[in-house]
Amino acid sequence: MTIINSLKYYWNVKLTGQPFLAWQRRQAESHPKISARWRSDILSPPLKIAARTRELISRHYLEGRYAAGHRPVAWVTSGAPVEILQALGFYILYPENHGALCGVRGAVVELSGAAENAGYSTDICSYARTDIGSVLSGKTPVGRLPPPDLLLACTNICQTVLHWYRVLARHFQVPLILIDTPFVYSKLAEHSLEYVKIQLENSIPAAERAAGRKLDYRRLKEIVQLSKDATELWQEIINRGHQRPAPLSVFDQFIHMAPIVEMRGQKATVDFYAALLKELDENIANGIGAVRNERKRLLWDNLPIWYRLRYFAEYLGEHGICVVASTYTNAWGELAPFMNTQKPLAAIARTYISPILNQGTGYKLATMQRMVTEFQLDGIILHSDRSCKPYSIGQIEQRNRLIQEFDIPALLLEADHDDPRAYAEAQVASRLAAFVEMLDD
Amino acid sequence: MPINIPQRKAVIQDIKSRGGMVAAVLPIHYPRALLRAFNIFPVEVWGPPRVDVSLGGSQLQSYVCAIVQNALSFIKMGALEIADLILIPHTCDSLQGLTSLLIDMVKPPSPVFPLYLPRGRREEDVIFLAEELQSLYAGLAELTGRRPTDAELLAAIAREELCDQLSGRLYEQRQTLGLGNLDFYRLLRSREYLPAEEFAALAESALAVEAAPLPGTPLLLSGILPEPMMVLDLIEEMKGLVVADDFAGCGRRLYRPGLSPEPFRRLAESLVAAPPDPTRGNAIGDRVQFLVEMAAKTYARGVIFYEVKFCEPELFDLPELRAALKERGLVSLHIEVDINNPLPQQTATRIGAFLEMLNH
Ligand code: SF4
Ligand code: SF4
Repeated sequence: MTIINSLKYYWNVKLTGQPFLAWQRRQAESHPKISARWRSDILSPPLKIAARTRELISRHYLEGRYAAGHRPVAWVTSGAPVEILQALGFYILYPENHGALCGVRGAVVELSGAAENAGYSTDICSYARTDIGSVLSGKTPVGRLPPPDLLLACTNICQTVLHWYRVLARHFQVPLILIDTPFVYSKLAEHSLEYVKIQLENSIPAAERAAGRKLDYRRLKEIVQLSKDATELWQEIINRGHQRPAPLSVFDQFIHMAPIVEMRGQKATVDFYAALLKELDENIANGIGAVRNERKRLLWDNLPIWYRLRYFAEYLGEHGICVVASTYTNAWGELAPFMNTQKPLAAIARTYISPILNQGTGYKLATMQRMVTEFQLDGIILHSDRSCKPYSIGQIEQRNRLIQEFDIPALLLEADHDDPRAYAEAQVASRLAAFVEMLDD
Repeated sequence: MPINIPQRKAVIQDIKSRGGMVAAVLPIHYPRALLRAFNIFPVEVWGPPRVDVSLGGSQLQSYVCAIVQNALSFIKMGALEIADLILIPHTCDSLQGLTSLLIDMVKPPSPVFPLYLPRGRREEDVIFLAEELQSLYAGLAELTGRRPTDAELLAAIAREELCDQLSGRLYEQRQTLGLGNLDFYRLLRSREYLPAEEFAALAESALAVEAAPLPGTPLLLSGILPEPMMVLDLIEEMKGLVVADDFAGCGRRLYRPGLSPEPFRRLAESLVAAPPDPTRGNAIGDRVQFLVEMAAKTYARGVIFYEVKFCEPELFDLPELRAALKERGLVSLHIEVDINNPLPQQTATRIGAFLEMLNH
């Protein structure tokens, strides 16, 4: 950490950048403008909170630009137990979130191309390719990413992240903390839970060394509480989709979930979700749904197709269809009950071994069936994501059983969450059209 | 001298006729001795060829590797009904998906036992794995009604450790065994289904031969497994000699014995300390060192990375691995294969060109 870097950080982030972003947000809030491309005929106006979402995400990446040399920096996987790193004052970057942002901004083909030119196969996860390409080329739509002082990979979403982080560890020559979370096929074994807890305990000295300070357990408890508060709010927000019409679609959720993924354990995140919930409640009171003429309601399974969010929202909206729930966004809310501040490490262990992606295909099917009932759904779209084997294997059978045993239309769509080259435009359009027709039958 | 290796089918029939049980085991690392202590004989299933792949394809997407596709097809054909249980080590996202699919949806007649393998080499990983093995022991005890004692477990461990040692010696004496590429790997891979005693006898008879050093350009193979095995003949025809390998199914399973006198801990130590393997989370640097040392020991001039299509654990390491090997003077070739089809002519041409380059 150097004084020059700290001065740069305070000048660019605290004194100029953040006030500017806050001003921009206030402007957007006081003079709301709807883009000419917004399909106001089928969709309700964008949520007012969108200005705040933009501000939060921009602030996060702005901080990242100037974090190196001022704060310790950690790169972590999306399901990683970040509370310890938060308590140690790390700036935390989520390459998967950055990958999603690159997907939305259409930067994946170029970045992934840089990785492919270096020999990385198109058969590896497109988030990893995008990230590795960004690291190798130095390019990113957010200006600059701070190099990590520490990497944290948790296998609770896939094994792929460990392979990916091994590449990063070799490139940056920094320590990699591994939190290995044994897969839960049916019942969570005590020895698995204990294993995760011990790894968490043993990771603390390495994290402290990289941070240059000792972990304050009081602060850790505060952060766990903030994580829990934000996660509970997020779950409440998702559950507002029980309402008819649903006040937000999953396409809104995909955008507004960024803070719960990359800013867990922060007060600003709790305030943000409290404000979002308030806005949704107002909309519910006023009978405003995300889709103006909501006739049918769907579930989305698996990651979003980041580069086609608008297409799906509009195409389905045109037919009065609102996708109101998703197993993916739900994954960030359903763990709230496991978090508690009394025994933070034990609670963190239980929380982070339990995500849907670390549980069997039967658990996911049961989750979908529960959601169908709770959200009164008319159909399901299962995105078969070429990049994400842990999420996708099992979907064919899940779809068959949803159709046969639950008597609900279900469509399996082949694509990739980040790489548009794996998206067959005409084929998706025709399958979607046939599905929509079937919903009306 | 051709080696007379019993056929897999005959071995299984023999086991059954003697009252033994059979475990169908999917790739890669597992405790053979633990099964044997229960009188269960492991027979490995590495994506068997000649299966109706459409059976697996009806439940798995096309971007899942052929090993997993074939295994599911094989199970759905009923070919594993002879097995008393199916053991699936947690090797990768795809095998994890298959295990889960079998347990929750397909429900084959034989019970499915998953085994989680930790991704680190720390003390906590050894402790966890020893506990995971104890939990597998409990499951097998319930299935068989037996409870092998520590002494029985240690006796089974000793038998397998002898086989590990013999496999290591086969590699050490590789060039004077008088075995061509294909015969050498047929012998090594017979351990995928032979009981330890039979494999040990075969290995010892092979080791007793001292032939003139085999000719050919020495080279290493790396990947998951040498399938289709015709690649080995092809390399020989092109005057290449496979002197060692970093195959998940072969060289990466040259286990060293554990140190502990306590059986579960001993098994765990041995599995955790096995040669580096991306599926067990080893760092790329460990793999580089392993390959460089192997090449130095065997005078290998190059490496062929012979990979199964869609195998992410292998694909991630390749660019860094190949670059690091190149820096150390070891050139490499990357080939992706579909294990269900014969090698395309283009692959043969590339291997030929690579060998030619090594000779100049
Ligand atoms: S998209 Fe899937 S494979 Fe890729 S990092 Fe996420 S969970 Fe892992
Ligand atoms: S070939 Fe690769 S992806 Fe397929 S089962 Fe083996 S390790 Fe997994």
